[in-house]
Amino acid sequence: MADVQKKRLGGFLLDWSAVIAIFLCILFFSAYKGTSFLSFANLTNILLSMSITTILAIALTVTLACDGFDMSACTLASCSGYVFMACYLWYGMNLFLSAVICVLFTMAAYLFTLFLILVCKIPDMLATCALMFVHQGLGQWFTGGGAISAGMPQPNGVLPKRTFFGEDFVSIGKAPWIILIMFACVLAAHIFLQHTKQGAFLYAIGSNRTAAALSGISVKRYRFLAGMITAVFIAIGAMVVCSRNTAAQLCGCDNYLMPALAAVFVGRSVGGMEKPTALGTVIGAGLIVILENGLTLCSVPYYILPAVKGGVLITALAVVYLSKRDSFDS
Amino acid sequence: MDEFIFRAKNITMEFSGVKALDKVDFEIRSGEIRAVVGINGAGKSTLMKVFSGVYPAYGGDIYCNGRKVSLKSPAEAAKLGIRIVHQEADTAILPDFRVYENLLIDDLAVETGMFRYDRKKMRQKAAEVLTALGIALDLDMYAKNLTLAQKQMLLIAKQIHKKCRLLILDEPTAALGKEETENLFRLVRRLSETEHTSVIFISHRLAEALAICQSCAVMCAGRVTDEFAVDGNVDTKMIVAKMLGKDVACHTESAGRKEALDTAPIVLETEHLCDGKGRFDQVSISVRKGEIVGLAGLVGAGKTEFCKAIFGVGKLSGGAIRIHGEQVLLKSPVDAVRHRIALVPEERRKEGIFPAKSITFHLCAASLSKFCQFSFLKKAGMEERARAGIRELGVSCKNEKQQIQFLSGGNQQKVVMGKWIDADCDIYILDEPMQGVDVGAKQDLFRMIRKLAENGAAVLYASSDVPDLLSVTDRIYAMYGGRIMAELRSQETEEKEVMYYCVGAPLRA
Repeated sequence: MADVQKKRLGGFLLDWSAVIAIFLCILFFSAYKGTSFLSFANLTNILLSMSITTILAIALTVTLACDGFDMSACTLASCSGYVFMACYLWYGMNLFLSAVICVLFTMAAYLFTLFLILVCKIPDMLATCALMFVHQGLGQWFTGGGAISAGMPQPNGVLPKRTFFGEDFVSIGKAPWIILIMFACVLAAHIFLQHTKQGAFLYAIGSNRTAAALSGISVKRYRFLAGMITAVFIAIGAMVVCSRNTAAQLCGCDNYLMPALAAVFVGRSVGGMEKPTALGTVIGAGLIVILENGLTLCSVPYYILPAVKGGVLITALAVVYLSKRDSFDS
Repeated sequence: MDEFIFRAKNITMEFSGVKALDKVDFEIRSGEIRAVVGINGAGKSTLMKVFSGVYPAYGGDIYCNGRKVSLKSPAEAAKLGIRIVHQEADTAILPDFRVYENLLIDDLAVETGMFRYDRKKMRQKAAEVLTALGIALDLDMYAKNLTLAQKQMLLIAKQIHKKCRLLILDEPTAALGKEETENLFRLVRRLSETEHTSVIFISHRLAEALAICQSCAVMCAGRVTDEFAVDGNVDTKMIVAKMLGKDVACHTESAGRKEALDTAPIVLETEHLCDGKGRFDQVSISVRKGEIVGLAGLVGAGKTEFCKAIFGVGKLSGGAIRIHGEQVLLKSPVDAVRHRIALVPEERRKEGIFPAKSITFHLCAASLSKFCQFSFLKKAGMEERARAGIRELGVSCKNEKQQIQFLSGGNQQKVVMGKWIDADCDIYILDEPMQGVDVGAKQDLFRMIRKLAENGAAVLYASSDVPDLLSVTDRIYAMYGGRIMAELRSQETEEKEVMYYCVGAPLRA
């Protein structure tokens, strides 16, 4: 009996380990750093840095829900950023039009990803791993090997039509808008995944592809749908990054892949859902950003932080795979 | 309820020239529970796949209530109310979904113009469905946490809560325990009595089939060889004979070795061995030095699980394994190999070979240390060994460098078994070693197995092919439902008798 209880308690702790870790982090950092951690300014700061990771992690959540995988999401986001900035600065389009073109471009680019995965039948991991390099190369070819920022001429020497940023553009990357955009993305993904039948079908495919097909769900059609939704979130992420940097930096989004993946996998285990969910992803992103923020405040050098993020990802993956059955134990 | 008659006439089905079904006639009326029994490969599953629209290229006619219908897709069959529950429950459920979601997800997929995923409404409907069917399942449980029996109940409920006139159950009891089987039978009986659903019950377990069905069709080699009503005086021996068709003459070459074997020391012995998951139960066998012992049983009898257990795979819940009279604890295949046990696994392609590796690699894989010097492989020695092996085993191939994936099934199996010959094992466990092996290669392999035994190894040979067992083994254990039903001497028995035990017929008599 005690054994059963112990097991149940262990399961509970494992299921809520991410939330417990967040609390422990907050307790530790506020005890150690006091008001410099727990101030309103720093909390806003945490939400700010959380938002980009969260939006890109939401994109990955949708792909991972139907058992897909995308390593090229963030390199594609960098490319979308170049297109967004080029439209806005080089060609002088207004913000709305630039945003629409950015979204359309990302969706079109994602068609190629889906072509490789659904038509050529390359495993997701391998196809997107190769695409990462394609995105990096083609993106830099487009920008001429440099960043796109205010006042810089195009690679062919033509001067940009717009030389300074509008108020609306800059505000996207600032509080409160960036935080509101994040919450809007999370809410949209949450409603889609949890409360529509299409979302349920994505999870059905992720849960057991054969059974889903036997239930009359068109696996390819819904994986395509998931890809298109992922593309939209990638585009939103790209625009937010550009606005926050007031430039399309070279490979500006590439480094978000790791924390975004970590956020999704941390979120998978939350509440014992064992599937990627929007709310779980927010918790995952929160954990990573709080850890990063707190450690920076404790003057841990920034160049060590990737190891911390990697450690969180490893822990999350261990939780996911430890609970799986040993395949040789048939 | 109106009368429903399902009739199939002259059903023929061919797979690349081989007749799987040969002019089969079949009829079932509403409320009837009809068993279809036969040994593996008799055509039972093929016939059911025709009925459920999976094989649209069938020949012959099918009538529902006298009207001719065409079953060209699973959807068309479902429209007529023909529903099938496949053998493997795990391929058809969504493990991360709750019971009520699993139950109703099909409905959701065909409904159009709806976006909302209304859990409350689904749960309510699922509760109604399960109450109406009298199935007790926790609606909110994740399907992955259900037992196999519960998963099967869930799948049956998923099929029958919609219009269902004919329910096909393909080997539904293969993985169920006794009590779970009883539960399933109660549900099936209730369906036939209250809903007047016709049920086709596929099984190669005669005892079970006779326990639930009102009528029975026996299939053998693609034909229905007998049909009869099930009443008190069914002659199980006669049915087994009908299942087997013609008697195949088996020759045993091991005559004269019997006396010598009875005094040889026991090498491998299990005592009341029980599987942690209940797939075999209280299995006690013994294999003597130089003896070839058969383990006869149909698919699902627990042979493979038992063989793997001796090789250290899977958890045991009781019993003991003794090797050379000493009790051993085999926690993993590494332990088993240390005790000089070799396993030739059932699924050659999945578990036995490295497709892109050469014949040389395979033949030397189990005894690599013989070809090593300070961990460096001596290639010339390996190739020489491989050439000798190819000659010895009669493998037809280009040369020893050929990749194993390009060999025929029989030759692959020769190589897989050949690698163990040099490894000097004491105990050889062969699980369905003749699967996909042609007749010529079979004789070579039999010779090889006999040679292993003559050299002093103990061989355990598990198979569902009784003639093969009779021709190569000294003794046979017949297994049914995870238990040993009988121990027979190959010299003194015949196919009918072995099969009689393998289908569990004594349980009925």
